[in-house]
Amino acid sequence: MAKETLTEAIAVAKAPEDTVAKKSSSFVAWIADKGIFVFTAILILASMTFVDGFASLQNVTDLFHRAAPIGIVALGMTFVVITGNYLDLSVVAQAAAAGVILIAVSNAYNLITAFIVAFIVAIIFGLVNGIAVGYFKANAVIVTLSTTYIGLGLLRLLSGGSQVFGPFDGPIATFGTSKLGPFPYSAVVLVVVTLILTFVLSKTNFGFMVRSFGVNERSTRLAGTNTGVIVIGAFLVTSMAAMIGGFVLAAFSNTAVSNMATGYDFQALAAIIVGGTSVFGGKGSVPRTLLGVVFVSILSNVLVLSQISYGWQQIAIGSLIVFAVTVDALGRRVGKK
Amino acid sequence: MTIPVIEAKNIVKSFGGVRAVDNVSVSVMPGEIHAVVGENGAGKSTLMRILAGVETPDSGSVEINGTAIENSAKASIDAGISLVHQELSLIPEMTVAENIMLGSFPTAGGWTKTREMKNIAADTLKEIGVDVDLDERISRLSVALRQFVEIARAVARKPKVLILDEPTATLTPAETDYLLDMLERLASQGLAIIYISHRIPEVFKICKAVTILRDGKLVTSESIDKLTPEKVIDQMVGRELKLDLSQRRQINDSGDVVLSAKGIKAPGVNGIDLEVKTGQIIGLGGLVGAGRTELIRAIIGADMKSAGKVTITSNGKKQVITGYLSAIRAGVAYVPEERRTDGLALGMTVAENIFLPNRKEVSPTGVMPKSKIAAFAKGLSEKVSLRPPQITREAGQYSGGNQQKIVIAKWLGRKPAFVVLDEPTRGVDVGAKAEIHKLVKQLADEGAAVLVISSDLPELLELSEIIHVVRDGQIAGTLKGVDATEKSVMSLAAGEKLVGA
Repeated sequence: MAKETLTEAIAVAKAPEDTVAKKSSSFVAWIADKGIFVFTAILILASMTFVDGFASLQNVTDLFHRAAPIGIVALGMTFVVITGNYLDLSVVAQAAAAGVILIAVSNAYNLITAFIVAFIVAIIFGLVNGIAVGYFKANAVIVTLSTTYIGLGLLRLLSGGSQVFGPFDGPIATFGTSKLGPFPYSAVVLVVVTLILTFVLSKTNFGFMVRSFGVNERSTRLAGTNTGVIVIGAFLVTSMAAMIGGFVLAAFSNTAVSNMATGYDFQALAAIIVGGTSVFGGKGSVPRTLLGVVFVSILSNVLVLSQISYGWQQIAIGSLIVFAVTVDALGRRVGKK
Repeated sequence: MTIPVIEAKNIVKSFGGVRAVDNVSVSVMPGEIHAVVGENGAGKSTLMRILAGVETPDSGSVEINGTAIENSAKASIDAGISLVHQELSLIPEMTVAENIMLGSFPTAGGWTKTREMKNIAADTLKEIGVDVDLDERISRLSVALRQFVEIARAVARKPKVLILDEPTATLTPAETDYLLDMLERLASQGLAIIYISHRIPEVFKICKAVTILRDGKLVTSESIDKLTPEKVIDQMVGRELKLDLSQRRQINDSGDVVLSAKGIKAPGVNGIDLEVKTGQIIGLGGLVGAGRTELIRAIIGADMKSAGKVTITSNGKKQVITGYLSAIRAGVAYVPEERRTDGLALGMTVAENIFLPNRKEVSPTGVMPKSKIAAFAKGLSEKVSLRPPQITREAGQYSGGNQQKIVIAKWLGRKPAFVVLDEPTRGVDVGAKAEIHKLVKQLADEGAAVLVISSDLPELLELSEIIHVVRDGQIAGTLKGVDATEKSVMSLAAGEKLVGA
C-alpha cells in the first residue's frame, strides 16, 4: 500500500481511538480551555475571604498599578506565542531599553525625541527577531536569547550601566503618580493596550493570519500568505508592547536601569500560559492573557500580604507554569481530532 | 518436501472502514525470490509491515518454518525477518559501520565493542559485494550507496527472510542490475527474498514466483513460468471493463495557453515541459514516487526548482512565476495531496478556511467584516454542496470528502485561471467523489486550465482529456483518446515496453 494512502488510512483509523481518549480525559481538555476562569474566580473569592487587606480599593488599584508594565509586555508577546514560536525572551532588553531611553534621552533632549528613539529601537528589535525567525526559520528561543544579550550589552555600553533619574517635576514623574478617578494611569494604559490588541488579533486580517499561521503553518502558506511577514508582524507587536511596558515601568519610579526588566520574559510567558493560550500556537487570545496577568498578580499579591517569603513566591509561580503547560499539552493531545 | 520459510496465513487488516489487506496468504520457500506486485494502494506495504511486526493485523498469522510468531517488531527480527524500508531509515550523521550495526551493537558491559562492530560490518559489506568506507558518514554517500548500506544493515542480522520494498525506485539502470545480481546471489545461498516492485521487467528477471494484490485482495500467487508481463499488468489492474468512451472528455485544444512550463528540473524531476490551455483537463499519471507531486510543486513555486521557466497567462496578462506567492497572484489554485496538513487548518472553522485566500477581496480594508465573510463562505460552501453547510463548524469535524470540498471552495472564490489538484479524491467516499469530479469538470467548462494528478486510474481516465505518464521524473509518454486505457497508463508507468495501446 502506498505510503501516502497509508498515512491517510492511519489518520482515519486513529479517529475512534481519540474519541475514547477524549471521553476519559475530556476533563483535562476542559481545564486547559476554561480552567483560568474558574481558578481566577476561586482565587479572588478565597483571597477576599481569607486575606486581610486584599479587598480594599487601595490594594486593588495598587495591584493593577504594579501589574501594568509586565501585563502590557505579556499582551504583546501573546502574538508571538500564538504563531507557535514559543516566546520573545528579548522583551527583557526591549523594555529596559525603552525605559532607559525614555529617561536619558528626555533628560538630554526632550520627551518627543525620547519617544522617537525608543520607537526606532523597538522597530529594530522586532525586525531582527522577526526576520531571523520568520524568514530564516531560526529557533525563536535562541534568537531572542541572543538579541537580549546584544540589547543589554549595547544598553550597558551606552548608559554606562548606571541608573538614570528623571527630574522630580517632569512629565514622566507626573504620569507615574497620576490617577484617572481611582485608577492609576498605568492601569488605564493596560486596559487601552488590551482593547487595541484584542481588536488587532480578533478583527483584522493581520490578526487572523497570525492565528491561522499558529493553527497550521503549512496550509496558511499554501493558501497564499507571506508567512515571513506574519511572523515579523507578531514580533513587531511584541516590540511595541515591550516598549510601552518599559515606559510605564520607568515612569513608576522615575528611574531606569539596564536590568530593570529582569524576569519579564518568564513572567510574561507565565501570564500568557496561565491564561490558556497554547504554547503550540493557534489557540489563545489577548483577553486571556489579561486574565492570566490578573491571576498571577493576585497570587503574588496574596503571598506578599500573607508575608510569605519571596522564595516561596518563586516556587509557587514556577509550579503554576509546570501545571499550566502540562495541562496545555494534555488538553491538546486529547482535544486533537 | 521442504516447508516454506515464511508463511502468512489469512491476513486481514483494516484502516477505518477500508480493508487494506483482505484475507491474503503468501508463502515463500528458502532460496526463492518472490515478487509482490500491485497498484498503488493495493496493500503491499501494509502486508510487509505486518510480516515485519510493525503493524498488527486484525486477524491471521505469520509462521516461520512452520511455527507461528508473535506480532511485534522484536519477535519478527528475532525470527529472522528483515525489512528494508521504502523510505531510507539511516542516520545521516553516523558512519556506515554504525548504521549497519544500529540496534545490534556488539557490547561488553555497556561499552560498544568498536572493533567487533567494524568487523561484522565489513564482513557484511563483503558478503553483498559493496565497497564503501566503513568510517564514511552516510550524509556523504550517494542515494544508491545509501540504499546498499540499508540492505547491508538488513543482511547483517543474518535473516532468513529479507523483504525489500521498492529498492530500485531511486537507482539507475546500472545500479539496479547490480542490486538484482546481488539478490540472486543471496538467494542462491538459501535466503528467502520478498521483492516488492512496480517494475515488471525486474520481476521477470529475478523472481521465481509472483503474488499479485489488488484492492487489498489476493489475485493470484503462482510460479513466474505461468505468467507473462502482460498478464501480470492485466491482473494488477483487474478491471477489464472498457471505459465508455462517450463519457470521456472530448479533447479541447482550442483554448489559449494558460500554463507553460519548460525544462522543469527539481529534486525528483528531470526536465519536463508541460502546457495546459483554458478549458482543458490534463492528467498526470504514474506511480507514487515518480515525481508528479514534485513536478507540480516546482511549477507553482511551492518548492524550489533548479531549472526551468514557468509562465501563467490569465486575463490576457502573461506572468513569469518566480515563487509560490507570485503563482497565487497570477491565478493559481492548489489543492494539495495532504489535505489534512496542507489543504486546511483543521482547527479553524469552514468560514475561516475559506476566508484566508480570499481575504484581500472580502476584507479590503484589513478589518474583517463579519457578516460579509459569513455570506461569502456560505455561498461557496453551498456551491460545492458541503454537507452540512455549517460554516462555523471546525473543518476537522467534517469527513474527508467534505474537507476536500472546503479546500476547493476556498479557491473557487478567487476564480482561478489554473487549478492544480493532487490526488483530489483519495480517502473520499463514492458520493463525494462524484461531486468533486463534477466540480473539477465544471471548473474547466467555465474556462479554467486544470491539471490533475491521480493514482486512481478510472478517475484519471474519466477526468482528463490528455494524460501524461510520469516515470523517474520524466514524461514517459502521452496518451489521449482511445489510446488512454488503464493498461496503457499502467504499462508506461511501470516501464513495461511490451504493451502498446
